[in-house]
Amino acid sequence: MEGTMRKFAAFALALSVVAACGGGGTGGGGGTTDESAQAPGKDVKPAAKIVWWHAMSGVNGDALNKIVDGFNKSQSNTKVEAVFQGTYDDLLAKLNTALASNAAPALVQVYDIGQRYMYDSGQVVPMQAFIDRDKFDTADFEPAVINYYKYQDKLQSMPFNASSAILYFNKDAFKEVGLDPTKPPQTFTEVADAAKKLTKKDASGQTVRFGFGPSIYGWLFEQLLATSASPYADNGNGRDNRATKVVYNNAQGKAILDWWKAGLDGGYFYNPGIDNNGAANAFDAGKSAMYIESTARLRGHINTAKFEVGTGLYPRPDAKPKDGGNIIGGASLYIMKSRPVDEQQAAWEFVKYAMTPAVQAQWQADTGYYPIRKSAYNEGPSKDWSTKYPQFLTAINEIRDSPQNRFTNGAVLGVMPQARARTQKMIESVLLGKETSQAALDSAVTEMNTQIDSYNKANKP
Amino acid sequence: MRRPLRPRTAGAYALLGVTAVLIAFPLLLALSYSFMGASEIATFPPPLFPKAPNLDNYAAVLASIPIGRYLLNSFIVSTAVVIGQLLTASFAAYAFAFLVFRGRNLLFFVFLSTLMIPWEATIIPNYMTIRSLGWLDSYQGLAVPFMATAFGTFLLRQAFLQIPRELWDSARIDGASSLRFLRTMVIPLARPALGTVAIYGFLSTYNQYFWPLLITNQTLMRTTQVGIAQLRDEETLRWGLIMAGVIMVAVPTLALLVLGQRQLIRGLTAGAVKG
Repeated sequence: MEGTMRKFAAFALALSVVAACGGGGTGGGGGTTDESAQAPGKDVKPAAKIVWWHAMSGVNGDALNKIVDGFNKSQSNTKVEAVFQGTYDDLLAKLNTALASNAAPALVQVYDIGQRYMYDSGQVVPMQAFIDRDKFDTADFEPAVINYYKYQDKLQSMPFNASSAILYFNKDAFKEVGLDPTKPPQTFTEVADAAKKLTKKDASGQTVRFGFGPSIYGWLFEQLLATSASPYADNGNGRDNRATKVVYNNAQGKAILDWWKAGLDGGYFYNPGIDNNGAANAFDAGKSAMYIESTARLRGHINTAKFEVGTGLYPRPDAKPKDGGNIIGGASLYIMKSRPVDEQQAAWEFVKYAMTPAVQAQWQADTGYYPIRKSAYNEGPSKDWSTKYPQFLTAINEIRDSPQNRFTNGAVLGVMPQARARTQKMIESVLLGKETSQAALDSAVTEMNTQIDSYNKANKP
Repeated sequence: MRRPLRPRTAGAYALLGVTAVLIAFPLLLALSYSFMGASEIATFPPPLFPKAPNLDNYAAVLASIPIGRYLLNSFIVSTAVVIGQLLTASFAAYAFAFLVFRGRNLLFFVFLSTLMIPWEATIIPNYMTIRSLGWLDSYQGLAVPFMATAFGTFLLRQAFLQIPRELWDSARIDGASSLRFLRTMVIPLARPALGTVAIYGFLSTYNQYFWPLLITNQTLMRTTQVGIAQLRDEETLRWGLIMAGVIMVAVPTLALLVLGQRQLIRGLTAGAVKG
């Protein structure tokens, strides 16, 4: 992960020049203007073939191909060809190269944190343009999901695969130590108290089970900030206007780190390092009794772990700030401006198909991501899925109960991948005792602000 | 009658044995994991050997990606690159080692300095060249950019310099052309070095990930490493499946290495007795 991050950073830097030349952003203005002028005319006939680049491998890749097959069979105008392009980072690097020589496809799947970068490339037809043109109704869409992909309240891309972060816990271990498995801990103190009880040592004093074992993952820190009702960046987390500073070196940021560090020092938290799979494996293996991760891992855990898996709300400060909540993650679909209008039209047709409730329900059942539309939950595959994995309800309720504001919409930064990597380094240095929490926060923020400055200079509108 | 091992030899073997196991450990673990189910791998402490070995992972690899085609593509591309590198590097090295011309050293250092250019810096220009040639999604696009190698040229030049100058003089006196001298004397004498260049070139091409990913869009033109990436799940890593894929990709190269090693050793010892 680190490696790909760095690779991506190199590309981002090399190509910010290309992006800067590519032309200034898409429609800067206020919140009420109609964007339909940027979409091709309604009467443009969709192209016979379009290419879609995606980053879904394994089971999710199969599920994606199923959608494409379904679309290709459902009509005879357009054939979509889905091409796997490696990880999200690989895909973005390849897209950058392709844009520079006009070889980009009509539709691309880009991860959540690539949002600002795509916007600044000036190569995207905003999804809002098609929505305004067709008066496409988004009332049924999951607000938390759709809000994430809005900049100045205009939808730039169509959310495709969405997940959020929840608390996973080992119900068997809860019962063993006398904790109520129907009432998982919710606040920082509750998590720490439960973790103390769940920690088990063997005769020689070695810890065989830790109470709580989260990976050092920037996304989890972003989620903790959001449940603490703290912004990550200025200018409304970069959503009202371009962010110029990271601001998380505040009391909330410090409280998160201090809680984490105290747990490790006390011996009841486990530190798998910067290793999401390591944290997941430790949970499956019973080495840590609770941890926090993406809802998309739920099915994997239920199928792999040899104990009953429980899910609970994501941890938050003891005061449970009412403006706090969770951010969604995942990826969305962008229609590229560099392709002819008939291809853009075809891409929009496909996007509309992918958003139908039946397709969304099947997608949920095949992958474990949220449906983007609420009505998808009434469809057969989605109902079956919720019956099979009732733990999933925690996830969807959590995201529905989150207030919609700039904290829970999540941060948008051009250098978000780099910021995330730097945040992880910051957390690690605190957990390993190399720096105090405030000093680590301050130095990370200073460094990121320099990066933001140079990014913003290279991408002046 | 076999003589009993002397303590020193036995010690040496023991040490070699331990080192061999240490070095091979990741590969052996991959092999063992490829026969395990997901929940078995997840147990703690991690098991070393499968309790109920099965081929499910291999079947799953075959079902999810066209691994045969990927292997074929990787072999075609890697072989083409090796042939190309051997040709260009041996010609260039020959010129640097035997021919005398003005600016030879300067040219050689310029050659060497290309080693210092990071690969990332050349990838976009390379991509644009390949694209304008219309070589996206083609074997030539995958192979041609790697057919010249500064490292290989350097290695071969050093090997060629070991060949006595007198040999060249007498060949010239007997009227042999440069090409003939290269073919009949230099190449046979430098076989170990050529083997090294070949194996290095083959493996580094075989293990490429980003370039093949960048310039191919059709499944049928992709190579093994892209295939392995396709086995990865973004959210849940199925180690058994990935390891089965890794083994399937690694075995052909290992076989090649074993066969190639014979050649190398023969190359090293050929003519050693006569001197």
